[in-house]
Amino acid sequence: MTNYILKRLGQGLLTVFLTVSTVFILIRMAPGDPAVSYAGPLATTEQLDAVREQFGLNKPVLEQYWIFLQQLFTGNLGQSYSFQAPAMVVVAERMPYTLTLATAAILLTAVVAIPLGVWMSRRPDTGREFGVNVLTIAGQSMPDFWTGIMLLTGFAVLIPIFPASGFATWGGLVLPTITIAILQIALISRMVRREMTANFAAPYLTVARSRGVRNSMLTWRYAMGNSAIPVFTALGTRFAAMLNGVVVVEVVFAWPGVGSLIVRALETRDYPLIQATVLLTALLAVGVQLLIDLAYPLLDPRVRLGKAATA
Amino acid sequence: MTAQPASQPAFKEQPLLEVRDFQVELITEAGIVRAVDSVSFSIHRGETVTIIGESGSGKSTTAMGVLRLLPEDLAVLSGTVLIDGVDITADPKAINKVRGKTLALIPQDPMTALSPVHSIGSQLFEAIRISGAASAKDKGALQARAVRLLEQVHIPTPEKQLKKYPHQLSGGMLQRVLIAIALASEPQLLVADEPTSALDVTVQGGILDLLLELQEQRGIGILMITHDLGVARLISDRIHVMKDGAFVESGEVQQIVDHPATEYTRKLLAAVPVLGPWDETPPGSRPTQAASAGSSQALTQTGATHE
Repeated sequence: MTNYILKRLGQGLLTVFLTVSTVFILIRMAPGDPAVSYAGPLATTEQLDAVREQFGLNKPVLEQYWIFLQQLFTGNLGQSYSFQAPAMVVVAERMPYTLTLATAAILLTAVVAIPLGVWMSRRPDTGREFGVNVLTIAGQSMPDFWTGIMLLTGFAVLIPIFPASGFATWGGLVLPTITIAILQIALISRMVRREMTANFAAPYLTVARSRGVRNSMLTWRYAMGNSAIPVFTALGTRFAAMLNGVVVVEVVFAWPGVGSLIVRALETRDYPLIQATVLLTALLAVGVQLLIDLAYPLLDPRVRLGKAATA
Repeated sequence: MTAQPASQPAFKEQPLLEVRDFQVELITEAGIVRAVDSVSFSIHRGETVTIIGESGSGKSTTAMGVLRLLPEDLAVLSGTVLIDGVDITADPKAINKVRGKTLALIPQDPMTALSPVHSIGSQLFEAIRISGAASAKDKGALQARAVRLLEQVHIPTPEKQLKKYPHQLSGGMLQRVLIAIALASEPQLLVADEPTSALDVTVQGGILDLLLELQEQRGIGILMITHDLGVARLISDRIHVMKDGAFVESGEVQQIVDHPATEYTRKLLAAVPVLGPWDETPPGSRPTQAASAGSSQALTQTGATHE
């Protein structure tokens, strides 16, 4: 088990390293000049050169990469150009906001999507199930910027019950959370229904029914117990993806998380800030993925005992 | 051809299972299919009645219909099925009175018949709780009863097996566990749907012996579904031969085996491989001969004319 964890940790770190290296190269290949963004459009050539010198952008790319690697191992990715503060600190300050939003969204998704999917699987081919089915397809099809703007218009402007932007009060969490969750609920509930339907048709369920196991037990203990593994994996993977910043939703609601931060960093070509954001979010995503893999044995005895038998 | 032969034993008591004019219509994409067409039979205490037939003859559908385990929205049942006097066709809820009590199922494939994420013990405990033999709170009583049930089906070191998960046991062991789970409720009637067809030949005999032993001890009635005449012969009192949803022949085992009345039964009998001495032409030599003839057509022709 320790070997397994070490191996997975190694793979994770390699993934993070490759990701940040790729981003390092890509942002330098992309059009745009940090010096121009920093010094402004009216800056003279001398001023621009001075800025490039200050940020070390006049050095050859390979040398810049070598410096970046050294920074990577010390954990200090340099000063953010636009914030004039250590880039890692700037990102770390934004992280709790994204974490809060992602956690709220995934909890709402789980709480709504699992019962909804179970309900759909229990009442196939009824009028109401058809209605919910159509709604989930609609939920999947609506782009999040549109959902976000509709919710803003509806519940912050026309009926002002929630704040339109920022995270000053807990009320500010409501609309962005719902915006993210609508798509996730649509996807996860359909997955739950598919898994449950497959498990309802499984022989062990018929056999359990034959020995008088009640319907509620068949649903939750048997069908859900066996559907839990893929559903849990999907929820975990989606949560990990949200940590990379729910970019569009954060921008729509002016949410002070890493998603809106990376948009600003990209706009200003703030290389250290982009690299720090990618490094931290990649680390978090890989960490969450590792936790999901480690939680597998808790849900599936076949994984748990398979490992014990071969170790 | 009717299912009320004169040879039916003159039992005074009420049969455990009485099936009259039972029909199952399945709603399929191709239309309504009458999978079971007016079958009638009965099983008394201590009796084994076998329905034998080829794949698709409707034998398993009959068993699943009697247990009301067919999907309610896709299968229409009609006729009368009385299980220990309870009519389960008239009222769909009535089946709950007998499930996990008088009635138990031994499934076809033991490898898929238990939930893979729950331990043997938890599934056995659940059956014991449903039977009312021990309450959920009384862990000691549950454990003791579970161990006793596993001992009755001759599972070695029962305490250890309770902690295991289905994938850790062999097919034969799992079938014994399933029989133990079925026995938890002290059932009167067992429906065994091809209980040995998914098992190794070496294990099949052990499971059939166990069923016979339990029947002898407890006087359980058994409805056996099989396509294997060897199994039917070993275990049955009466046989119903099923084809295209209807019984084509019914009677005592010996009578059917010795004097099959229909061509279909004769073919079923002929399908059983007969062990002969090695110097006689073994069945395997046929394709070899055909291959040496150098033509694949010869092979199919030989096969066809062999009947």
